[in-house]
Amino acid sequence: MMFHTIAFILGFLPICLVGFFSLGRFLHTRWALLWLVACSLFFYGWWNPDHLPLLIGSVGLNYAVAVMLRRSDRPRSWLGAGITLNLALLGWFKYADFLLHIVAPAAPSLHVTLPLAISFFTFQQIMFLVDISRGTTKTQPPLLTYASFVTFFPHLIAGPIVRPSEILPQLAGPDLARPRTDAIADGVLIFLLGLGKKLVLADMFGGFADTGFDAAAHGATLTYFEAWYATLAYALQIYFDFSGYSDMAIGLARMLNVRFPLNFDSPYQATNIADFWRRWHITLGAFLRDYLYIPLGGNRIGPLRQTGNLMVTMLLCGLWHGAAWNFVIWGGLHGLLIVIHKQYRRLFPPMPPACGQALTLCAVILAWVPFRAASLAASLAMLRGMAGLNGVALPRMIVTALPGLRTIAEPVTVMPYLGDARTLSFPELSACLLLGWLIVLTLPNVHRMTVRTRHWTLTGSFALSMQALFFAPHIAPFLYFQF
Amino acid sequence: MRRLLIACAASLILYGAAFTWLLDRPLTLGALRARIEATVALGETIQQPKLVILAGSNGPFSHRCETIEPIIGRPCINAGVAVGVGLDYLFTRWKPLLHPGDLVYLPLEETQYVRPRATSDLGPDATIMLRHDHATLVTLPLRRQIAAVFASDLRAAIMSVIETALADDGFDDPRAAAGGGFNAWGDHVGHTAALARLNQSTLAAIVPVHPTAVQIQAGYGSRLVADFLRWAGRHGVRAIGGLPTGFSDSPIRDDSLTAIRAIYRDQGAGFLELPNRSRYPRSAFFDTQDHLNETAQIDHSVAIAEALVRLTATTLTVRTPAPPP
Repeated sequence: MMFHTIAFILGFLPICLVGFFSLGRFLHTRWALLWLVACSLFFYGWWNPDHLPLLIGSVGLNYAVAVMLRRSDRPRSWLGAGITLNLALLGWFKYADFLLHIVAPAAPSLHVTLPLAISFFTFQQIMFLVDISRGTTKTQPPLLTYASFVTFFPHLIAGPIVRPSEILPQLAGPDLARPRTDAIADGVLIFLLGLGKKLVLADMFGGFADTGFDAAAHGATLTYFEAWYATLAYALQIYFDFSGYSDMAIGLARMLNVRFPLNFDSPYQATNIADFWRRWHITLGAFLRDYLYIPLGGNRIGPLRQTGNLMVTMLLCGLWHGAAWNFVIWGGLHGLLIVIHKQYRRLFPPMPPACGQALTLCAVILAWVPFRAASLAASLAMLRGMAGLNGVALPRMIVTALPGLRTIAEPVTVMPYLGDARTLSFPELSACLLLGWLIVLTLPNVHRMTVRTRHWTLTGSFALSMQALFFAPHIAPFLYFQF
Repeated sequence: MRRLLIACAASLILYGAAFTWLLDRPLTLGALRARIEATVALGETIQQPKLVILAGSNGPFSHRCETIEPIIGRPCINAGVAVGVGLDYLFTRWKPLLHPGDLVYLPLEETQYVRPRATSDLGPDATIMLRHDHATLVTLPLRRQIAAVFASDLRAAIMSVIETALADDGFDDPRAAAGGGFNAWGDHVGHTAALARLNQSTLAAIVPVHPTAVQIQAGYGSRLVADFLRWAGRHGVRAIGGLPTGFSDSPIRDDSLTAIRAIYRDQGAGFLELPNRSRYPRSAFFDTQDHLNETAQIDHSVAIAEALVRLTATTLTVRTPAPPP
């Protein structure tokens, strides 16, 4: 089930909330938690119930490992076993085919179906085991609390990757199932703003991006503006899509009296690449830093090892997004950018923030090309277009209005890979992109807005969200569902 | 919570007001509206028995009333607009102008039979009605009225601003130079074979999608057509179904064809079928499989007109063609 569907908003959510608060009020918080787990499993199983046993088994097994980890006098062995088990499960479902084709390119595909959210609930549980062994999570939670933490539907499918030490105490709180009007209103407000980001903005830019990238995948030759506009649209789509989803998750958790950490903090306003990673998918970045980069040695070792660790961390970050080379390239590019940034900081004074922001933005946008493109060949086709190697074309009406452009651009009636390829697609896309980039570059994000600004934003977006929810012919799934 | 509800209510009010009274798309939807209003206005002036062609853009691009009119001997109006315009809207506009003895020819595009109701409700006519044609909108079901209010998204708002600015600035649509325009009968003219050669690669690449017989039988458009045929039968209007033009290398499947025929025959309406089932080589087209080029349009129109005369021989009286309006 997806957050931005009528079934979820008008069916699942109200029933879940009413049941949760009613059970909490008339019976006990424990019953409310049980209800929450049941709702979460229903939510998960809606898409494909075949994978429910995997989720339930994974929760049970990790809980048992955590119990043994606490009781045993060899906790490190249990930790190692637990992590290996989780990674083996993830490896089989997500990477088996990928690895098989690296070893034996001609081998037939294994056709392993990727269970929904496996990357998220695996990482979540690895965190729990490590925190238990480190003592960050002080007490072993009851199984019900643990199950509600892992399966908690607001973060189950696509994060944020929340720390057990942040969430478990909230789920164990005595007031968890007591309805609070302010929390529900806050939650609904944040949820609706996230819904707007997804349905109104992300899906609009997604349509523009698909035209260009699909054309590149089919071997079409994209001219300068076609390639740039598709890439700029994709950069906006992925930001609005994932940050919209995260806002909706934060809002849903808030309705249920749970506070989630921030997952996006205006990443395109970052002034350097390290800053970008402190603002983009913050919870994944923090997980990789605390559970991979620092255990590998972090900044405490020599510059060469540090560089190596950074590259390993970012390559794995790319691979976490999907078992494909394009994600590895994307992770590698970001690793390289962080390494360059670190070296620059050692050797030169910081550059002016505006220059830093522009440079970071360009690098991040260029790195989205292999991330989105269907293949390496499509990435190269896209980059060729962006470099102007396929020429510059502009609508005839623009060239007629601004004759100076005739020296650099060929006038054409329509640009076939730009939006809907209509006469007015160029000004339409230009205006949409301008609006999108103005929002991400100049406005505060939902979490930095004042309450008044949030209400004004809702006034601007609510009707458009409802239009998309009830009347749009097609609603695209969240991009991060595939990860 | 109160502020939240106020914000939501204000948003809905502002949205409704903006799209009903403020935002407009004078270039894209304006062109469609102009076509609809021009053909309706022409229909209002003709009191004698007439032929009205109702379809998508296959109507004006592949049929020529200017050619058909003298052959069938009655005034002809080419009232096809675009495939996205809702059939219920088109029928609602034309019903008051159809009188006993009138002939309606429906060479509808295949997709018009199968387009889902939800998509059909949000077609360009929804926006046109909300902004300019409340009189028709209020006659349609409540569902259609609500859909009309919510037919526009953010892109539509942005396009409204752009189109209004361009229209105010006297924007010269390059499509007119690239593809011709419309004559007084409502036919598209000037889409010559020479201009069509510019679209040769596009035409070669088109892979037409044909709906299945089951889709046609269950289609929302099929239901609307059947309703209209029943209405026509009750009001002495003779409706005749037909086939849209298409590529000869991509024929409509036999079972789909049977399903289309059945829509008309089940309601006692006629069905016109040329020996070539309106299939022509790709070289006869302009830019899509629904648009013949001008030369082929004229040839096809002659064939259609002669077939119409044969089909309606018992009821048609040959008259002197009316002067062009």
